[in-house]
Amino acid sequence: MVAGMRFGFEQIRRLPLALFVLLYTVVTGGPFLWVATMSLRTTSEIFKDPYGYPSPAHWEKFADAWTKSNYHTYFWNSVVVVVIAVALVTVIGAMAAHCLARYRFRGNRLMRFLILSGLVLPPQLLILALFQILLDVNLYNTLTGLVVVYVATHIAMTVYILEGFFMQIPQDLFDAARMDGYSDFEIFWRVTMPVGAPAIFTTVTLNFIILWNEFLFAVVLLTDDDKRTLPLGIMHFMGSHQLDVGMVATGLMIAILPVILIYGFFSETMIKGMTAGAVR
Amino acid sequence: MSISTRFWGFFGRNSAKPETDARCAGLGILVAFLAPALLFYAGFAIYPVIRTIYNSFHAIKPHGVVEFVGVSNFTTLLFADATFWKAVGNTALFTIVATILDVFGGLLLALCLFARAPFAGLLRVVWFTPVLMSYVVVGVIWVWIYDYDWGLANAILRWLGLGAFEQSWLGHPSTALWSVLGAHVWKWLGFNMIVFLAALYALPGEVLGAAELDNCGWVAKLVYIIVPMLRATIVNLLVLSFIGKMMVFDLIWIMTGGGPLWSTETVSTYVYKRAFEWNTFDLGYPSAIAVLWFVIILAFIAVMTQLLRQRDKLEF
Repeated sequence: MVAGMRFGFEQIRRLPLALFVLLYTVVTGGPFLWVATMSLRTTSEIFKDPYGYPSPAHWEKFADAWTKSNYHTYFWNSVVVVVIAVALVTVIGAMAAHCLARYRFRGNRLMRFLILSGLVLPPQLLILALFQILLDVNLYNTLTGLVVVYVATHIAMTVYILEGFFMQIPQDLFDAARMDGYSDFEIFWRVTMPVGAPAIFTTVTLNFIILWNEFLFAVVLLTDDDKRTLPLGIMHFMGSHQLDVGMVATGLMIAILPVILIYGFFSETMIKGMTAGAVR
Repeated sequence: MSISTRFWGFFGRNSAKPETDARCAGLGILVAFLAPALLFYAGFAIYPVIRTIYNSFHAIKPHGVVEFVGVSNFTTLLFADATFWKAVGNTALFTIVATILDVFGGLLLALCLFARAPFAGLLRVVWFTPVLMSYVVVGVIWVWIYDYDWGLANAILRWLGLGAFEQSWLGHPSTALWSVLGAHVWKWLGFNMIVFLAALYALPGEVLGAAELDNCGWVAKLVYIIVPMLRATIVNLLVLSFIGKMMVFDLIWIMTGGGPLWSTETVSTYVYKRAFEWNTFDLGYPSAIAVLWFVIILAFIAVMTQLLRQRDKLEF
C-alpha cells in the first residue's frame, strides 16, 4: 500500500515538474530564438509584427552588418587581445602555481596570500588608477595596455585553481623526475604541465569566456573606434543604429552564434571552466 | 645536470641542498617562477589599489594638478551627497534580492533536474547558455523585451489579458531597478544551478536512499536532508553572488545608464560617472567612493563568513 501511494504521488509530482521545466526552458531559450528571427527580418517587418516568422529570410543582412560597420575590426581586436592575454596568464599563472604548490621555502605563505588576495579586488577599485597608470606609461588606448591589465587582474583566479590541482599531483612523480636529473624548469614543463593539463584547460576556458565578454576595463581604457573589442563594438553599433532594430539583431546574432557554436561542441568543458572557482 | 639548473643554481643555494629533494629549490629558481606573476600583479593590481587609496585623499585635477584634501572627500560623500546614498540604497536592494533569487532559484532548478526531469541532461546545458553571453548581448536583448511598444513583456501581459499592467519597464523609476534585476537573475541562475547540481550528485547516495526507505516525503527530504547537507555550497554561493552584486556595473550601464532619475544608479555606475562623465574633472572623489565601498564589501565578507561559520560549529 505504501508503495502504491508513493507511486501515485510520484505521478502527480511529475506533471507540474515537467511543466515547470518546459516553462523555464522557454524563458531561457525564447529570447535567443526571438533575436534569431529578428536577425533575418527587416526593421519595417519587425515593427509590423515583432514576433513573426522570418519569411522571406533576409540572409544578406549578415553580410551587410559585417561590411557596413567595423565588425571585423572589433572581432579581430577581441581575438588578438583575448588570445594573447589568456596565453600569458596561463603560462605565468602556472609557473607561480607550480612554485607555490611544489617548493618549500620561507615566505611561501606570504606569497600565496599576496597573489590570492587578488581574488577579492573589485575592478572598480583598480580602474581609476589604472586609467592614470596606463596614461603615464603610454599604454592608454592601446590593445597592449588592455592585455597587460587583463593578465594582472586574472592571475589570482588562475593561480587559485591551478595551485589547488597541482598540490594533488603525487610528490613521487617529482622525486623520480629529480632523480632522473630533470632541472627545475624541466620538471615544470615535462611533469606539472602535462599532468596538470585538465586544470590548465579549465583555466584557459574560464579566462577565455570572461575576457571575451569583458566590458568595464575595455570601455575605460580604449577610446578609438578601430581599437574597440567586440562588446564595445556591439554597444557602438547599437548607438549608431538605435532605430534600426533589425540590423542590431543581426549584429547581436553575429556575437551570439560563435559562442553557441563553440558551446555546442565543448559544453562540458565550458560548464566546468565557468564554475571552476565555485565548485570545490 | 642541465644548463638551466646550473644557471639558476648559480644564484641560489641549490648546491647546498641534496639534489634529489624535489621540494627544495634555490632562490634563483623561486624568483624565476614567481617573478612574472608578481611583476604583473604588483604593477597593475597592487599599485593601482595603493594609488586609488592615495587618490581618495586628494583632488586629482587635469594637467597633473594634485591637491591634498585630507578626509574631505569622505566627509562630503557621507554627509553631503544624496546621489551617493541613493546609489547605496539601490545597490543594497539589488544585492540582497538578486542574491537570494539567484541562489535559491538556482537550487530550485538544480532540484528539478536532480528529480530526473525529462531531458535533464540536455536542459542542464541549455539552461546554462545565458551565463556564457556577454552583458552587452544580455542587456540589449532585455532592453527589447522591456520595450513599451513591441517588447515581449508587454506582449505577454496583453496576451494574458493583463493589459492594464503594461509598463514602460525601464522608463519608469518605480520599475526600472526591478527590471534590470530580472535580466541579471536570468543571466546567472544557470550558474548557481550547475554548482548545486554538482553538489547534489556528490551527496552520499546511502543517506538519500535511507530517507526514501523511511518514506520521507519530498519536502521533508529537502528541508531536513538536502539543504543541511548542501550548507557549504549554499554559503559559498551566497558569498560569491553577494560580492558580484555589490559591484554590479555592466548590465545597468548598458540597460539604463543609472536612470531614470537615479532609480538604477548603483555605487559602481556612480563611480564611473563621477570619474569619466561629469565634468567635475576630479579622480579623487570617485576614488574615495571606490575605497569606501571596498572596505564595506570586505567587512560584509568577514561578517558573513564569521556568522555562517559559527552556525556550522553549533550544528555539527
